Amino acid sequence: MSKKIGDVILDLQNISLRFGGVKALTDISFNVREHEIRAIIGPNGAGKSSMLNVINGVYHPQEGKIFWRGKERKRMEPHMAAQQNIARTFQNIALFKGMSVLDNIMTGRMTKMKANFIEHALWFGRAKSEELAHRRKVEEVIDFLEIQHIRKTPVGRLPYGLQKRVELGRALAAEPSMLLLDEPMAGMNVEEKQDMCRFILDVNDQFGTTIVLIEHDMGVVMDISDRVVVLDYGKKIGDGEPEEVKNNEEVIKAYLGAGH
Amino acid sequence: MNFFLEVLVGGLLSGIMYALVALGFVLIYKASGVFNFAQGAMVYLAALSVVGVMEWGAPLWLAVILAFAIMTLFGIATEKLVLRKLVNQPPIALFMATIGLAFFIEGLAPMIFGSEPRALDLGIVDEPIPWILDNWNMVISKFDLVAAGVGALLVGTLALFFQYTRIGRALRAVADDHQAALSIGIPLQHIWAIVWGVAGFVALVAGMMWGARNGVQFALTFTALKALPVLILGGFTSVPGAIVGGLIIGASEKLAEIYIPPVMQDLFGGNFGGIEGWFPYVLALLFLLVRPEGLFGEKHIDRV
Amino acid sequence: MLYREAGQFKTTYAADQQLFPIRQDRIGLLLLLAVAFVGVPVLASEYWFSAILIPFLIFSLAALGLNILTGYAGQLSLGTAAFMAVGAYAAYNFQLRVEGIPILVSFICAGLTAAAVGILFGLPSLRIKGFYLAVATLAAQFFIVWCLTKFPWLSNHSSSGVISAQDIVIMGFNFDTPVSKYLLVLAIVSVMALAAKNLVRSSTGRAWMAVRDMDVAASVIGIKLMPTKLLAFAVSSFYCGVAGALYAFCYLGSVEPDGFSLDMSFKILFMIIIGGVGSILGCFLGAAFILLLPIFLDFTLPGVAELFGLPFSNATVSHIQILIFGALIMFFLIVEPHGLARLWQIAKEKLRLWPFPH
Repeated sequence: MSKKIGDVILDLQNISLRFGGVKALTDISFNVREHEIRAIIGPNGAGKSSMLNVINGVYHPQEGKIFWRGKERKRMEPHMAAQQNIARTFQNIALFKGMSVLDNIMTGRMTKMKANFIEHALWFGRAKSEELAHRRKVEEVIDFLEIQHIRKTPVGRLPYGLQKRVELGRALAAEPSMLLLDEPMAGMNVEEKQDMCRFILDVNDQFGTTIVLIEHDMGVVMDISDRVVVLDYGKKIGDGEPEEVKNNEEVIKAYLGAGH
Repeated sequence: MNFFLEVLVGGLLSGIMYALVALGFVLIYKASGVFNFAQGAMVYLAALSVVGVMEWGAPLWLAVILAFAIMTLFGIATEKLVLRKLVNQPPIALFMATIGLAFFIEGLAPMIFGSEPRALDLGIVDEPIPWILDNWNMVISKFDLVAAGVGALLVGTLALFFQYTRIGRALRAVADDHQAALSIGIPLQHIWAIVWGVAGFVALVAGMMWGARNGVQFALTFTALKALPVLILGGFTSVPGAIVGGLIIGASEKLAEIYIPPVMQDLFGGNFGGIEGWFPYVLALLFLLVRPEGLFGEKHIDRV
Repeated sequence: MLYREAGQFKTTYAADQQLFPIRQDRIGLLLLLAVAFVGVPVLASEYWFSAILIPFLIFSLAALGLNILTGYAGQLSLGTAAFMAVGAYAAYNFQLRVEGIPILVSFICAGLTAAAVGILFGLPSLRIKGFYLAVATLAAQFFIVWCLTKFPWLSNHSSSGVISAQDIVIMGFNFDTPVSKYLLVLAIVSVMALAAKNLVRSSTGRAWMAVRDMDVAASVIGIKLMPTKLLAFAVSSFYCGVAGALYAFCYLGSVEPDGFSLDMSFKILFMIIIGGVGSILGCFLGAAFILLLPIFLDFTLPGVAELFGLPFSNATVSHIQILIFGALIMFFLIVEPHGLARLWQIAKEKLRLWPFPH
């Protein structure tokens, strides 16, 4: 691989997150470098999704600091993540079910559109030209993901694998600098997984997008990620390159169960 | 001071009547997640059934039993014919369906039993209790007190029913988690039928109380609508919430009706009566801004 | 055979994104407008204008307002009639108190006033959803109607808040005949329906639908929930406000606050459920259905009753009406949650294939 991994762009320090009395994350620190594929793995309930939700501001950790491109980030709301060019997909597909594939992906470009509702209502000024310019961009995403044939289909009618792909498309349409993927391959068959892997690697390769990914399929994780962080019961138990992590005592114990 | 207490107690007592209606909402919401807008219409149907059957010559006790049968059958039919068919729809669709149901009842009930306002005599007179009037110089209605007693009895019975009977346990299990309840073999649809039956019974009690107090007429459905702000205050899933919410709404609307209009009159001139009509809703709305889950409701965390 | 898009290739995104991409739809719409603007005024009788066509258009506009809020932005409201009342009273007061204000400006100001009130009552939507919000909108319904009854200034000190709408004069022409009122309403409704169609196909509409379908995901992709929801309340109330002004000025002539009842709010809700939640066309279909059904029943029920020898009073007829409304709502929610608009769409899809089976 010829890609060049850059500096640290996201640095999480001593993050703790609680829901009432339940500790979801305890004192977790790790960083993400520009252009890398960073995997978060761990058993169910380890706090992986919570980690992503902390990164993009859906959850607010009680303790810890987050540095984004060298600056400490204050409390932020979810919509601000998009402004900072962080896009994500969800574990249980979070597409807009009543809208077509095209419209779903168009929503990914929402933050880049400037026309206001009066221009929209009267369909004059920036409204029309903007719509067309963004449509062009969205069509590129559609081509990239090879979903031209379902452009106008309501997403509710699509099979699971395609919905996952559309969700990736919506995230890509934002041209993110960092992409958070929450189990992008869950519930897919081998062929669909291969397609998805290809898309992820291509995104990383062609656009230089930094990717943070949660995945259960160890084969996939070890194959495509540059570095892996391992969580268990809300704590970090391993961090490093795939080979390192694979041989980490604690990680093996967490996966095989305590007492082994 | 006496006057204030009189208004307050009167308000609290009528609040129990609101709580009675709200209870029906809570039962159905807890067990099936359906927000049954038609509960108010069911109160109307129940009251109409009682007076209607009595007009055909039946004594009160028989009319009550027949009305209970009607309510139960109606509840079961609703569950089977309407709600079961909407199982996988979003909650808001179910809610709108119950608005349809409310209209259906409001059309059907007077077609069968007649729409002219009628009195329902339960043998309790709506007059001041002499003892309190003599000693404290306060007008507290005998009827309101009895109604409050009936309300308390009903709540107590329901609480025992939920806590200690097999069906009650099953109901609570269903309320907690439909899937889990199904998986351990609780027949969901029987449970739902029972819940609608119980809600029908609660509507019957509420309908008789309200009917005896204000007459059996269409306006009953508006009174019953006030159970909605009660629910918002108390939280949709809490039986004690329904009671406390009812008391707060009852007391505050009566106090508002007495004490706000004079102030407004001084400021703007004119007559500002009828605050009761909207006060509970605005109170609930303001309350929502502060505590959306209600006094006793469970806080909801969105999982992503 | 006639209704098909074969051979109509889109070579630009502009062509693909137009309002009505299929040529037959465009022709159909133009024909419809031509009939509405030219054919109907020539043919219809006075009864048709003042009892059917004008209220139909006005209720369609109100339904559009509610559909923007409920169908597109997913926020259920039970206070539609109250926002119409705000519009009606605002238009009246602008005409009354602002010297020489053109009537159309009054209508717009009426819409803006309703929008402001709508935003106020939409504030709870930032914290609550679904039926919680529905209950909150009941507060708007009861509170607004009460205010209009009790504050004498709002109705210029008339008894029990009744107002009589002023004359509608535009550039010296007095819209005092049913035909002229019909044409005025038709023009306003056409423009506003077109604007609504534009709104919902643009990124404003997409933001609303995103919030409706999944608000957490919407905020993660950068949609600010608060402005999006409040905008929906504002635009929706604007539509309802203008509808209310037209209701007072072009339909009834004189209105009282109690006329804008909870019942009317429900009626408009029923229009969008039966017509089609989240469909512009559905608003018109639903309004027509809900308005025509009672007329139809009035004509047929007595005949049916006679046939079976049943004694039918007027009260019974109105009860049957309410019962049928309720039953239809449940029926549509169960059988076709997307309403008449969806049935129309299915019919069109069938027509595309006809007469070939596949």
